[in-house]
Amino acid sequence: MKEKALQVLLVEDNAGDVRLLREMFSKERPGSFELSHCLRMGEAERHLSKGGVDIVLLDMGLPDGHGLDTVRRAHAAAPGVPMIVLTGLDDEALAAEAMKEGAQDYLIKGQIENRALPRALRHAIERHRMQTETDLIRLQQIQFKDEFLSHVSHELRSPLSAIRQFVTILLDGLAGELQPEQQEYMEIVLKNVNQLQSMISDLLEVTRVQAGKLMIEPQCTSVADAIAYAVDTLQGAAIAKGITLSSDIACRLPSVCADPTRMRQILIILVDNAIKFTPANGEVKVKARVFDKDPSLVVLEVSDSGCGISPEMTERIFERLFQASDPSLEGRKGLGLGLYICKDLVTRQGGRIWARSALEQGSVFSVTLPIFSLPNLIAVAFRKEVRADRPVTLVVTELGSKSGWVSNDVRAEQSHGVREILQRCLHSHLDVLLPKMGVSEAAELFFIVAITDSIGGEAISKRIQEQLQEHVERAGLTASTSHLSLPRTQRDSNGSTEQYLDQVATGIQDLINAEISSRMVINA
Amino acid sequence: MPNKKILIVDDDQDVLQGMHVRLKANQYDICLAVDAFSGVAEARRSAPDLILLDLGLPAGGGFMVMDRLKMIPSLAIIPVIVISARDGLGNQKRAFDAGAKAFLQKPVDDKQLLAVIRQALGEPAATKKPTLHDQGAV
Repeated sequence: MKEKALQVLLVEDNAGDVRLLREMFSKERPGSFELSHCLRMGEAERHLSKGGVDIVLLDMGLPDGHGLDTVRRAHAAAPGVPMIVLTGLDDEALAAEAMKEGAQDYLIKGQIENRALPRALRHAIERHRMQTETDLIRLQQIQFKDEFLSHVSHELRSPLSAIRQFVTILLDGLAGELQPEQQEYMEIVLKNVNQLQSMISDLLEVTRVQAGKLMIEPQCTSVADAIAYAVDTLQGAAIAKGITLSSDIACRLPSVCADPTRMRQILIILVDNAIKFTPANGEVKVKARVFDKDPSLVVLEVSDSGCGISPEMTERIFERLFQASDPSLEGRKGLGLGLYICKDLVTRQGGRIWARSALEQGSVFSVTLPIFSLPNLIAVAFRKEVRADRPVTLVVTELGSKSGWVSNDVRAEQSHGVREILQRCLHSHLDVLLPKMGVSEAAELFFIVAITDSIGGEAISKRIQEQLQEHVERAGLTASTSHLSLPRTQRDSNGSTEQYLDQVATGIQDLINAEISSRMVINA
Repeated sequence: MPNKKILIVDDDQDVLQGMHVRLKANQYDICLAVDAFSGVAEARRSAPDLILLDLGLPAGGGFMVMDRLKMIPSLAIIPVIVISARDGLGNQKRAFDAGAKAFLQKPVDDKQLLAVIRQALGEPAATKKPTLHDQGAV
């Protein structure tokens, strides 16, 4: 059977190198290779996006692309096509970097021996095929594992909830008064059931983390409220263990840009851990202040007087399934998923988490989260190149339901979907989709700050409405999009950009407040 | 005032018994059914003030129960609270579309269940004597 010719795309701007490579190919058996050639990266990207290329021979110094950037661009244009980079003698280190970016191999110009070229090409294609296959198998295994975990944790919940139900029935005396000793033993059963229940929740949560299904909706969030919630929730557990749990929040602490539910979850995990690893008469403290090393962040600290962690472990504790291995710890262990979940939640909200600790000297867990600042959020759209006289428009999308009421879960899920659609409708450099800016009981509101020309507000509202229509109809919801013009704020040539942004942000905030209050449900 | 009557439809005997004990202690009268068919029959017979309905039921499933109830004018007005171990917002949306007043995910927290029941029955919050061991899991 006749073998199909391999389609090779050569991306090279040096005429001499092109001639040399052409000569090499011409010595091969006719019909085994078919060579096409591009001089520039842009041209190569267009060629690759059409498909039909089996392998790319890529020079890393082109008129319109250089170094690793060319590799990334070629990879982006055709992710499934193997690639060999061509480098000069002094560029071997760069070639090695290129392989980390997805190139299968590199050839040094002027050093390509006779017959080495076809072998390198075939080898690269084969290696790429094997790599793709391995990746696929790995992906399937992970998927299987996640599905399995999710299934098992669901199945475990039913019998466990029956156990919990009857234990609380006994404890509440619904089946007759318990003797003090019976009461005490049932309390122990309940404590362990709760522990098991929280492990199962962790398992479910971690499968969501890994499947990328964990939803995060950042908004202007009070740090003090989240800390108060976590301290209130766990005060009982601390008292039961004889531990003092307290909080210390800097006065006039700014709000952060974070999902309030996720922030409470982070604090609960950290404080719960601290209580677990602190002996009786110990102390757990939650502090919050503006981060002294970066004033655009707030830092939360959970410190304890517990057994501490050895320095080499402070990095590893955030790994999945990591557990302190010290058998002398009397604290109850979990599955070793809490800090892993915590790290994921913090990182995805633009923050960082780390631990400082020494054995027998307690630990301090620190979390940073970005301060909520409207001027900072909109700054991306107000770069110098944007003409000062272009009007600023606030586009408001309102999500409601036909029946007038949606449960909180449906609301969260739909809000996430709509946010994704809105994000896709934006002009990345001129429009900014703001995080949730306040709660309207009557509807879910989304705000976009757009820098437009005179008819732009109309156009962007229309585009968004069209994109949303199908999605919301399928979900039985309603969406309406309107736009408001921001009063003209001239960019003062003497004033600073910060001042200008502050003025615009104040104007936007006023419009948003008016929008939210106009939708308030008035409770009689 | 007579006690309000609640019909619980669930195929898990343990869940049925547990809820029965808990709700009885909160001064509700209880009737029970273990499948979709007897759920509808029991609703006709005892005309409850509220129905707690599981989705995964033998002989038709929870959605069928809701469909049947809707066809009988005297039963169509009874508020239904769906309690299911099934995940996913699809079921939740379907339940609301079918006319459910609320959707609770198993395992249900007793305190939450009682609050939702009171709301669905139009009772003021926490008028019943609280008999709940409040030691929620973290």
